[in-house]
Amino acid sequence: MSARDRILGRISRALQHSQPAAIEAHLAAHPRGPLPPRPHDLIARFKERALLLSSDILHADSLAQVPAVLAAYLRERGLPAQGVCWPAFARLEWSSAGLQIQARPAHGQDLVGITGAFCAIAETGTLMTLSGAETQASASLLPETHFAIVQTARIVATMEDSWDLLRKEQQRLPRAINFISGPSRTADIEQTVTLGAHGPYRVVVVLLSS
Amino acid sequence: MRVGLFFTCLVDAMRPRIGFATISLLEAAGCEVSVPQTQTCCGQPGYNSGDRKTSQALALKFLTEFEGFDYVVTPSGSCASMIRVHYPKLFQDNPAVLARIAPLSLRTYELTDFLLNIAKLENIPGQFRGSLTYHDSCSGLRDLGVQKQPRALLAKMPGVAIQEMQESTTCCGFGGAFSVKFGDLSARMADNKCTHIEAAGTDAIVGGDLGCLLNIEGRLRRRGNHKTQVLHIAEVLADQEGDA
Amino acid sequence: MQVASIHFKRNATAKLNDENLQQALARLQTRFVGGRAAVIGEIAELEETRTAAAAIRDRVLQNLDQWLSHFEQQATARGATVHWAESGADVNRIVAEIAVRHDVRKAAKSKSMVSEECGLNEALEAQGIEVIETDLGEYILQLAHEAPSHIVAPVVHKNREEISDLFAEKHRLPRKTGISELCREAREILRPQFLAADMGISGANFLIAETGSALIVTNEGNGRLVTTLPRVHVAITGIEKVVPTLEDVSTLLRLLPRSATGQSITNYVSILTGNKGAADHDGPEHFHIILVDNGRSSLLGGEMQPMLRCIRCGACMNHCPVYQNIGGHAYGWVYPGPMGSILTPTFVGLENAPDLPNASTLCGACAAVCPVKIPLPDLLRQLREKQMALGMKPWPERAALKLWSWLALHPAAYALTTKIAVRALFLAGGTEGLLHRLPGASGWTDGRDFPAPQGKTFRERYNRAFRENRHGEKRA
Repeated sequence: MSARDRILGRISRALQHSQPAAIEAHLAAHPRGPLPPRPHDLIARFKERALLLSSDILHADSLAQVPAVLAAYLRERGLPAQGVCWPAFARLEWSSAGLQIQARPAHGQDLVGITGAFCAIAETGTLMTLSGAETQASASLLPETHFAIVQTARIVATMEDSWDLLRKEQQRLPRAINFISGPSRTADIEQTVTLGAHGPYRVVVVLLSS
Repeated sequence: MRVGLFFTCLVDAMRPRIGFATISLLEAAGCEVSVPQTQTCCGQPGYNSGDRKTSQALALKFLTEFEGFDYVVTPSGSCASMIRVHYPKLFQDNPAVLARIAPLSLRTYELTDFLLNIAKLENIPGQFRGSLTYHDSCSGLRDLGVQKQPRALLAKMPGVAIQEMQESTTCCGFGGAFSVKFGDLSARMADNKCTHIEAAGTDAIVGGDLGCLLNIEGRLRRRGNHKTQVLHIAEVLADQEGDA
Repeated sequence: MQVASIHFKRNATAKLNDENLQQALARLQTRFVGGRAAVIGEIAELEETRTAAAAIRDRVLQNLDQWLSHFEQQATARGATVHWAESGADVNRIVAEIAVRHDVRKAAKSKSMVSEECGLNEALEAQGIEVIETDLGEYILQLAHEAPSHIVAPVVHKNREEISDLFAEKHRLPRKTGISELCREAREILRPQFLAADMGISGANFLIAETGSALIVTNEGNGRLVTTLPRVHVAITGIEKVVPTLEDVSTLLRLLPRSATGQSITNYVSILTGNKGAADHDGPEHFHIILVDNGRSSLLGGEMQPMLRCIRCGACMNHCPVYQNIGGHAYGWVYPGPMGSILTPTFVGLENAPDLPNASTLCGACAAVCPVKIPLPDLLRQLREKQMALGMKPWPERAALKLWSWLALHPAAYALTTKIAVRALFLAGGTEGLLHRLPGASGWTDGRDFPAPQGKTFRERYNRAFRENRHGEKRA
C-alpha cells in the first residue's frame, strides 16, 4: 500500500462519508464570495491603491509616447538607461528616447525591466501578469526598476473579475500567474518596512489611455 | 420582574459588598430580587480545567435553583458568559436538558448589560465623585459584548469622569488557575495592565469581574501603589450608604 | 525540529527576563496588531467574509479525500509530480530522492513552516546538498543557527544590532547598521545563489483543486525567484491546504495578508501550474508537489477538525497576551501562540507538551481575530479535558479540583468551609487587608499581593440581614 493510499484511507475513515460530495458542481459554479462595493471610477481607485503600495504612476496617451515617458522618469532619478523588455515592445523607439532596451529575458544584472500586464485590479492596485514565451516572468522580477505598461481599459474591479477575464481569453492557466502589488519589500528586521528585498526597488505603472 | 441574583463564589468569599450593591441596583431598577441560598459556583473553574462532568453537574444545580425566575443577573461577565454561552454547549447531546437550559441561559445577564438594556435604569443612585478608568474583562467583552454598557451607565453619573486607558481590552492575566500555575507570566500581564492604569492617572480602576480586579489590585499594591482605588462597577453605580 | 515544549514553563520565565526580546515583542505588537486594525476595516463585509472563509475551508475538510484527489489529477495533467508524505522523514526522503534524480547540488529555499516540522535542511545537508534559506528572516536564522520564533516574522526576536554583528562576522564585510543597508547586503549575497541554484524549495499557502496549482504569497520576491529560476521546483505543504476554486482563494486572500501583516495584499501572489512550456524562457523543467500529512489527518472527524481551517496568518499569536510577553521560542516547536498550543500537542503528543493547552487565560483575543473563525479557546479546553481524562494533570491540581467539585455540589459544607477560610484569610490580611504570602499559592504571591476578604461571606451577611429584616428591623 502506498503512502497516498494510507493517507487517503485515514482521511476517508475519519470523515465517514455515506456518499461522495458533489465537488464537480462547486467547481462548475465557482461561486464568488462577498465582494467589496464596486468603485465608480476604476482608474481612480487603481491609482489610489497603487500609490499606497509605493508604486509610481506614469501616463501616456499612446504606446509611441512610452519611451520618452520612461526616459524622463529614469533621468530624473539618475537611474541607468539600459534594460530589457517584452517582445511586444521591441519595436518602440527606445534609442531615440536615449534608452538602450533589448527585447530578451532578464538576467541577474539587468537594472530595468519593461513588461505589460494581463490586467490590473482596482481593489488593491495590483498588476496581474501571466508567464509565457512572450511574457517572461523574469523581466518583472530581476531588475531593480520594473515598468509595467497597462491599458486603462484592462483595469478590472476585483481579483474575481480577473478570473472571468482569464477564463474568457485563455485556454488554460499559464505556468505562472504573478499578482504584483508594488516594489518587493521586507519587514523582517525590526518590523521596519524596507523596499527592495529580492525583487524590484521600484514598480512604475505606465497607464495607457485607450 | 422577578430576578434571581447569582452573586458568584468570588463575591461571596471576597467582596460581599458587591453583592449588596448589586441588590440595591436591581431594586432601584424596580426588580424584585431573590437570592437562592444553595447557590455555590457556576462551574467555570472545572470547565476551564478540563472537568466537564463537574461543570455539567453544577449547571444542572443552577438550573433547579434559577429556572423559576424571569431573569438571572450576576455581577460578573465571566460567570454570565459561562451560563449564557457555555452551558448550552455542555448539553449538546442531551436535548431534554438543553430544552430547559438554553432558554434559561438567554434569560441570564451580566449586571450592566441587564441594567442598561433590560431594566433600563435611568437614575444611577451612586454618589462616586472622581476620575476612573475601565478595564474590559475578557469573557464579558468577547462572549457577551459588554463594553458600552458600563460606560453608558457611568456617563449618567454627574460626578464621574472616565479616562480611557491604553489597551483596556487586553487581558489582565488573571485566567483563574492560570494566575497560580503560570504565576510570573500572569503577574507580568497584570503589571502591563497596571502600567496602563497608572498612565491613565485616575482615582480608580473599575471593572465588572472580581477575579480581574483582585489580580489588578494585588499587582498595584505590590508595585507600591496604595492610592488607586480598585472598584467593581456595582460599587460605583450603587449608593454605598446603607450597604452591609 | 526537536520538540522542547516540555520545558515551556522554565523557558517562558527566561523569556520574561530577556530585555532584547521584550523590546522586539513590543515592536511586533505595534506593527502587526496596529497594522491589522488599520486595514481589516477595508473589507466592507468583514463578518460575512470571515464566515465565507470558514465555510470554504470547511467545504474542503468535509471531503478532503475527494478534493485532494481532484487536485492531484489536475496537477498531474499539467505535468507536475505529486508526492504523498506521511511523516517528516518521508518528506526528507522524497526531497532527497528528487535532488538525486535531477543531479541537484544547491537548493534555494523560500520560507516553509512544514519543512521546519521535518528538519529538512539538516536532512539535505547530510546528503551533501547545500541549502540556502532566502527569506531574509530565515536566512538570518540559518546564519545564526536558530529556529524561527514566529510563523510570519521568523526573526522577530532579534534586533538590528545582533543582525549587524552576525552579517559582519559571516559575510566578512564592513559592519553595517542601517536596516536598508543590511537588506541590500543580503540581497547582493543571495542574488548569485538564486541564479546558481539547481532546485528551488518553497511551501504553498494554498493548493487550488480547480487548476492543480500551488499558490504562494510573499513580499520579498524570493518566493518568485526560487520558483522561477532553478531547473527544479519542489513545493511542500500540508494536505489541508487545498481550496476548491480561484474564486474561493480570492476570498481567503482578502483576509490572509490583512490578518497577517496588516497589508491589503502581499507584494506577490504567485499561482504556479505545471512545468515550463517548450517555448518558455523561465520556470522549472520539473515541478514536484509534496502533500504532507505528518499528523494532520488525525485531527479530522473529531473535535479538533476546525484547527485544520488554519491559513497560518499568525494573527492569533500577534494578539495573544501570552505570546506578546514571551515570544515564540518558549513554545518549544515550530508553531507558537494559540494555534501552536493546539497543533503542537496534537502533532507531537500531549505528553510532550502538557503545559501548552493550559498556557492561556482563554481571553478569546485569538478567536476574535481569526480570519477563519477557529474557536481556539474551545479547542484549548478540549485538550484540557483530554488531559483530565487521561490522568495527565498533576496530582495537586486533581486533588484541588476534586475538593472544589465536592464542595460546590454540597451547599451546606460549602457555606461552612468558605466561612472558615474567609475568616482565616481576613485575619491573615491584618489591618492592611493584604496577604504578601499565601502557602500553596506562591505562583500568585511571588509577583502580587493577595487582597484579603472582608471577614464574613456574602451568604452570612445576607442571611443575617434577611433575618433582621424579618424581625422588623432595618436592614444593616
